[in-house]
Amino acid sequence: MMKPASRTSVSHDNGRGLHMGTMEAPALSSPMAWLKRTATDRDVCAWNRFVGGTLLALVVLLFLSGAFLAFYYSPVPGTAYDSVDFTLFEAPFGNIIKGIHHYAWNLLLVLTIFHLVRTLVAGAYRTPRRLTWISGGTILVLLPLFIITGDLLPWDQRGYWSTQVRLSIIASIPLIGEITVRVLQGGALTGIVALTRFYVLHILFLPCILLGCIVAHFYFVARHGLAERVMTTSSSAKRIPFWPRVVNRWLLTLLVTALLLVMLSHFWPPPLGDPADPTDSTYIPKPEWWVLFLNQMVAIFKGKWAVLGTTVIPGVLTGLLFMLPFLDRSPDYRPAQRRMILVVAGGIAAGIIVLSLMGYSEHFS
Amino acid sequence: MPFQFSNRHCSVYLLMIVALLWSGTALGASKQILEAAEVKAGPTGLDDAIWNEAEAIQVPFEGKEVFAGQKASVATKAVYTDQAIYFLFKWKDPTLSVVKGAWKYGGSKWEHQKGNEDRISLLFEINRINNFATKGCAIVCHVPPGASNAKNGKFGTSTAAEKGDLWHWKAARSDPAGVADDTWLTKITDEKGGRKSDDGSGGDQRNMTEDKSAPKYMPAPGQTLGKHDILLAAHAVEIPSDMVFKTGDTLTYRMPKKHEGSRGDIQAESHYAGGGWTVMLSRALDTGNEDDVAFNTRRKYNFAMALFDDSGDENSYDSEVITLQFK
Repeated sequence: MMKPASRTSVSHDNGRGLHMGTMEAPALSSPMAWLKRTATDRDVCAWNRFVGGTLLALVVLLFLSGAFLAFYYSPVPGTAYDSVDFTLFEAPFGNIIKGIHHYAWNLLLVLTIFHLVRTLVAGAYRTPRRLTWISGGTILVLLPLFIITGDLLPWDQRGYWSTQVRLSIIASIPLIGEITVRVLQGGALTGIVALTRFYVLHILFLPCILLGCIVAHFYFVARHGLAERVMTTSSSAKRIPFWPRVVNRWLLTLLVTALLLVMLSHFWPPPLGDPADPTDSTYIPKPEWWVLFLNQMVAIFKGKWAVLGTTVIPGVLTGLLFMLPFLDRSPDYRPAQRRMILVVAGGIAAGIIVLSLMGYSEHFS
Repeated sequence: MPFQFSNRHCSVYLLMIVALLWSGTALGASKQILEAAEVKAGPTGLDDAIWNEAEAIQVPFEGKEVFAGQKASVATKAVYTDQAIYFLFKWKDPTLSVVKGAWKYGGSKWEHQKGNEDRISLLFEINRINNFATKGCAIVCHVPPGASNAKNGKFGTSTAAEKGDLWHWKAARSDPAGVADDTWLTKITDEKGGRKSDDGSGGDQRNMTEDKSAPKYMPAPGQTLGKHDILLAAHAVEIPSDMVFKTGDTLTYRMPKKHEGSRGDIQAESHYAGGGWTVMLSRALDTGNEDDVAFNTRRKYNFAMALFDDSGDENSYDSEVITLQFK
């Protein structure tokens, strides 16, 4: 039996990271020369391992489509809805761009979860890739913040009342809940100040943080390399030039992803509900798919136990996500050697799926 | 064995796409939705088989004022072509009401008959009317006392930026001319209500003498009365001084005029039979007029309806807001 490759080396030179003989920084005067000198594992271009590249493509598309939407958007309650309506139905290709923005985050979230699960199964959160895992986990935690801040921006019924529900959940968090809501809302009601703050968070602060996390994540990937293959102990020794092979593959991924999103947007235009009516408390927003399990926990734990659903369980899950590299004491990265971790992770995943199905049944059946 | 992409993994990706699509479509409102079916050619009449392409919804109406506590229901359908949209309405009404104060000769003098007319009206948004999508006519037509957008029984919107398109089919005053009165709604002022007629001409002409004691017009020679024996303004001539009427003779009081320009955009056809009305309204999707809602088949529209059973504006049956969407 082949002995697994050492997993304790922090060197870029473990045969799977970017490799330039030495990991020197690119000379500013010749980034192309730096790119041309850089070689990487051939596995990088295996398209079933190109999820990270696809995620980057989605982020780029989200940034570009978001910039387009910002040209037309007016962050004032009286005009926000009309500006989105105009973008969607009057602006050239507005429905397509809005659709790309709408569907890209859905796909981003789905693929990020998929990426996380695959990394978990591959054991790629272990040394030396702890920081790769933590930076990736931070990106995952950031995504809902984008969604939460972005949902309010069209100022439609669903966004407004979903925000109200989320703010009430945040407010129930002990110690920091109410002050957090006050900071987000800027007052007692969700009005112009809240919309402005959500907008600034959505287009400025969160993108900056996300960009930093992505840079850090790719730096750690480059430094520590790809995870070993899940089902084999062998490692591809073949290396390929980063330029043009990997860059071309990524550009192709960007193009294909963009085309997929354009088709989705064309055939299933992005939704825009009725304008927000803060006086219409009869409106009950339906939770989106990614929040169904959290919503269900809030529904299960009521009264003095509400804190379990709103704070304790989500907090523990988030903590486990970040602590996993330090909790896993398994002797080896292979799944068979990490049964306990995978069983616990599988149990948590099953719980999330069951709660989501219960939520779906309650809200959509 | 190396980790290879297989059908199993393909299924995972497909599931992701399904989840993605689901996430975009699973969210919906609980309002009643009228789906306009796309057809190649518009219906030629009330009984055209093309109407079978569209699914009817039963729109419930709640009575207001004298009709308080009563309910009504209108079966509503819509179809559209690349040029026009067509609505079909059917509702029960045991009495045909088209009198609208028509004159009746009593042997020595003329008197107005008692009776109003049946009507149905639709209100769309030209520009967004604040909270119309959730509250409908309750915020523009049937507002509570003291509301800023209502005064002395008149109503309108709260700001000039909010504009509504009011389609008003009147059994006596517009239907005989083959139209629904095309009007629009804007901000109410201290002097005037917010209801305006669209550009152009139309409406009806009052048939009365200067002292308002008798009709002034009668059918011109060679002209016949229109639908429901209503005299059209275009077919009327002044009553000669030597004209002799018999007791019981009647003459139309509100003579429908020919609707031209933007005011005549909405074509109407109707039939009263078996204790109920069937009314078809049609209009170009986009008339190009600023006082009309321009229908873009990619988007949804909120509208609300009111039904008047032999009654004036104050007494009506009102619907909740309905969403019109194009299939």
